[in-house]
Amino acid sequence: MKPVKHIICMVFLSLSAALPAAGAEEQQPSLEEIVHRANQVAYYQGRDGRAQVQMLITDSQGRHRQRSFTILRRDGPDTDAVADRAYLGEQQFYVYFHRPADVNKMVFMVHKKPGENDDRWLYLPALDLVKRIAASDKRTSFVGSHYYYEDVSGRSIDADHHELVDVTDNYYVLKHTPKEPGEVEFDHYLMYVHRETFIPVQTEYFDSQGNKYRVARALKVETIQGYPTVTEAVMEDLDSGGKTRMRYNQVTYDIGMPEAVFTERYLRSPPRQYLR
Amino acid sequence: MAASSLADRFVYYALHHPRRIAWVMALSTVLIIALAAVPNFVRVPGLHPVTVDTDPENMLAEDEPVRVFHDRAKATFDLSDMVVVGIVNDRHPEGVFNPGSLEKIHRLTNFARNLSWPDPDNPGEREGVIEADMIAPSMVDNIEQGGLGEVTFSWLMATPPATQEEALAIRERALNIPFLNDTLVSGDGKAVALYLPLTSKDVSYRVRRELLDFTAGWQGDESVYITGLPVAEDTFGVEMFIQMAISAPLAMLVIFLLLWWFFKRLVMVVSPMLVAIVSALSTMGLLVISGNTIHIMSSMIPIFIMPIAVLDAVHILSEFFDRYPVHRDRRKTTEEVMRTLFKPMLFTTLTTMAGFASLALTPIPPVQVFGIFVAIGVFLAWLWTILFIPAYLMLIPESRLEGYGHEGSAGEEDHTPMGRSLAWLGNVTCARPRLILAGTLIIGALSGWGITLIQINDNPINWFDEDHAIRVADRVLNDHFGGTYMAYLSLKPGEADSDFDGGALLSELDRRRQDLVESGLPAQPFNRLEGKVREVASQSTDAASGLAALTRFAEEQMATAEGDAYFAWDEVMLMLDGIRQGSEVFKQPQTLAWMENLQKHLEGNERVGKVNSLPDIVKTVHRELLLGKPSEFRIPDSTNAVGQTLITYQNSHRPQDLWHFVTPDYRQASLWLQLTSGDNRDMEAVMADLEAFVADNPPPAGIEPEWFGLTYINVVWQDKMVRGMLGAFAGSFVVVLAMMVVLFRSVLFGLLSMIPLTFTVGLIYGIIGLIGKDYDMPVAILSALSLGLAVDYAIHFLARAREAVARAGDWRSAVPIVFGEPARAISRNAIVLSAGFLPLLAAPLVPYQTVGIFIATIILSAGVATLVILPALVTLLQRWLFK
Repeated sequence: MKPVKHIICMVFLSLSAALPAAGAEEQQPSLEEIVHRANQVAYYQGRDGRAQVQMLITDSQGRHRQRSFTILRRDGPDTDAVADRAYLGEQQFYVYFHRPADVNKMVFMVHKKPGENDDRWLYLPALDLVKRIAASDKRTSFVGSHYYYEDVSGRSIDADHHELVDVTDNYYVLKHTPKEPGEVEFDHYLMYVHRETFIPVQTEYFDSQGNKYRVARALKVETIQGYPTVTEAVMEDLDSGGKTRMRYNQVTYDIGMPEAVFTERYLRSPPRQYLR
Repeated sequence: MAASSLADRFVYYALHHPRRIAWVMALSTVLIIALAAVPNFVRVPGLHPVTVDTDPENMLAEDEPVRVFHDRAKATFDLSDMVVVGIVNDRHPEGVFNPGSLEKIHRLTNFARNLSWPDPDNPGEREGVIEADMIAPSMVDNIEQGGLGEVTFSWLMATPPATQEEALAIRERALNIPFLNDTLVSGDGKAVALYLPLTSKDVSYRVRRELLDFTAGWQGDESVYITGLPVAEDTFGVEMFIQMAISAPLAMLVIFLLLWWFFKRLVMVVSPMLVAIVSALSTMGLLVISGNTIHIMSSMIPIFIMPIAVLDAVHILSEFFDRYPVHRDRRKTTEEVMRTLFKPMLFTTLTTMAGFASLALTPIPPVQVFGIFVAIGVFLAWLWTILFIPAYLMLIPESRLEGYGHEGSAGEEDHTPMGRSLAWLGNVTCARPRLILAGTLIIGALSGWGITLIQINDNPINWFDEDHAIRVADRVLNDHFGGTYMAYLSLKPGEADSDFDGGALLSELDRRRQDLVESGLPAQPFNRLEGKVREVASQSTDAASGLAALTRFAEEQMATAEGDAYFAWDEVMLMLDGIRQGSEVFKQPQTLAWMENLQKHLEGNERVGKVNSLPDIVKTVHRELLLGKPSEFRIPDSTNAVGQTLITYQNSHRPQDLWHFVTPDYRQASLWLQLTSGDNRDMEAVMADLEAFVADNPPPAGIEPEWFGLTYINVVWQDKMVRGMLGAFAGSFVVVLAMMVVLFRSVLFGLLSMIPLTFTVGLIYGIIGLIGKDYDMPVAILSALSLGLAVDYAIHFLARAREAVARAGDWRSAVPIVFGEPARAISRNAIVLSAGFLPLLAAPLVPYQTVGIFIATIILSAGVATLVILPALVTLLQRWLFK
């Protein structure tokens, strides 16, 4: 387990550099609070946000594929407050593809509604086709990468039972066990949440035999507009030996994007002013 | 004469130091066995433990180009050898599509997913079933229409259905997806097959066993069948060893009993048995010590050595049995017997060794090892025969030989049935030589015709008996599904490197720069790239590496760019990526259309049950994107549309499935053919179909097709084997002929001695052609054996005939002598050995049956040919033979 620890340490160092030193020993937050803070930091910071993503998919043979896209995100609630789940609400994603060249202008859009199934759309410019995508579950690949759709848009907090299994110097270690084991491929996953920033620095998925088969890691964290932000991350498939690395560039928060951007109308004619 | 003085010395030594000879033989054998056995328990430097290799792929050398390509292509497309598990329900009207059966299939799938264990050879790795690539109802994706304008990705059978309707819906969905239809679900909708890819072929026996154990307790109407080439090959390997342990001793037992019956005294018969066992054990020991693996071929070494080892000993015993009553002195009798037999035995040994050693000339490593070690074994058998048999005879107290010997030996009259028949045979053959010659020519002509009918063919599944579980599974599953034999066709454009064309790139860059600068992006990145293009163009490089250099440059710039410059670089990257995609041959609609036609053409062959391909995936996704209309089951019109269809497919649970059919750079594709037959002949027909198609439909983009996969590999090594064996046989035929001419110092005698052999080989292969038995691996090997055995009898017969003529004056008076002791020795030999191999017929493995029946036939035919054709020919040619 040495390499893992090593990487966690590296991320921790960059975190420390990025952040002002935390104050004196704070009181330990409740499990509920840790879970929500981590969720909020990972998926709900700011009113909205935009990132230019460079994705590099590497298979077990070392062959590369690239994806380049813009992610726009908009949250329904006005607040980032974790208390009373205030930050949680409707959320929209708009993913506009630049590359590979043959999928240029392709759009993937998601509407998340608490307690309901997500709505997903796909716009395929070459076929001039807008399709609703219904997936039986959210654990399908995101455009052929090792990330699942759910990793990109966030797994519902209410889908799992949570446990705080360890508190280390730097991390809260959470164990999440699915409420509906039949709907997911994992048995449980462990999440290493940084104690000061609440960034989930490492997530490890285990199968029913207790084998760790999939690991997500934050490789680089920067503070952008006051928000600690993961700007480089990797997902590794330990079974196949493949991995996908994502780099987030040009990250901006609180742009003030109107909800109208996230509608079917904008699939065919992308909202240029918000993409750059 | 050199040979007889050598004989005298050998025999003299053996007769005077019988105990020493016995000890040396025993100790040397024990030593060899120990050297071979000890490294299995303790590591000894320089020695090797027994390694078993049952992989027919090793029929080809590791660096054989076909095999290298096969391995590389398998790695490129992430393909593994597969076990096919079929579940059939003949009782339920809907087959396995009922809740009960599907629940069992689901359980079996879950069991199979976890069927892997730590790899003992690679710590940290696992071996067994590769879960990620399994094909099973609960593990494959279904893409279909959801609600209005909606497309759904879901597991085909996430959980077992609760109702009959749901069960049928699963079938309905699977049959609508070409990739699953006839592969996962049988075309008749009654059965389901699971495909379990393996980390390596040699775990398939264990995987099969565990699956069978798991399903052994199933109550209900489901039957489980397991087959596939890896299973057949691995299972054969395991059963082969069991068979080797049963067949060889059984053959020895029958030979032993017959010898006992012929030579009356148990004490006499033990010696040839000892020689055979010692020779076989020592040879196998030497095989292991020299670091060779025990392969399908080398496992047959004992079975070949034993009859040959017994053969010489039987000649000695037979002579001893016949002459002992004359002398009543074992030393004198032995001396006389050895003097008579030494030269023929030396030469029969040399010819047999030549026959087998010639196999070293074939291009197939296991056959080379087989040939060389049988030759070594034959030599050992000869050595111990001439040393140990006389020694052994000396160790028998004279008192125990009281009254021993052939009844009719004392006088010329022999009244035993064998004696009388042989005397009659001698008279007839010499009285009517022309009739016998005519008969021989007729049989020869028929054999020649039969040889033209020979079908060269092999199929590892057919190595099992008709009613073996694997054969049954093979029949049932190939009846229901697209096929359990996998062959793959790699398609790749020829490497035609074009030069980097800076001009075209610059004008494209110009066009884009204008547009984008107007839209508000800075011009500087475009100008930087322009400079870089000119720099690359001046280095006169090829298109691909030029483009790669530009892309690297743009990536580096983009990594540090901020704001609008970032977006400008992004646009530069987009342009470069568009140019790169021009080389993605397998996204181009015309390439896919050509593949589609090729697929259709190949499916026209009745043995091709199913072809899985990239065009099928594209067409299926396209259809489901466009409301599931059957008319949209087609390849879209543009490269971008193909690309977008494929990226949609990658939003599934198993995006990696795509890379079994095309490489991520879309420069190499593979077709997966499921054949219902693993016969090499059928694979060859499919290969011919491909050639015909390519001749009529020139492939786009200079695509070159190349086969790989186990079914194809088998064709390649078979082809090498047949050619190799023919060459080896022709070569050793000439060598043996030359040896015969030298032995008899007569061209005519030399030619004559080759006649029983030629007749036998012709007859054997004629029969094979006439009865429609495939010319396969064991049959090919038999030509070497017949060369070794058939010439033996002729040598003994002609040598003795010459001797008899010298004694009696002319051939007519020599006939009764020749048809006395010498003919009896040959007959006893032929009967004992041919009968000794009949137990092999009871073996459940077909190659053993084949070897058994054909060795028996070869021996019998060679014996008959020697005793019938040779005397007739000698009668006709006596004027020239005995001047």
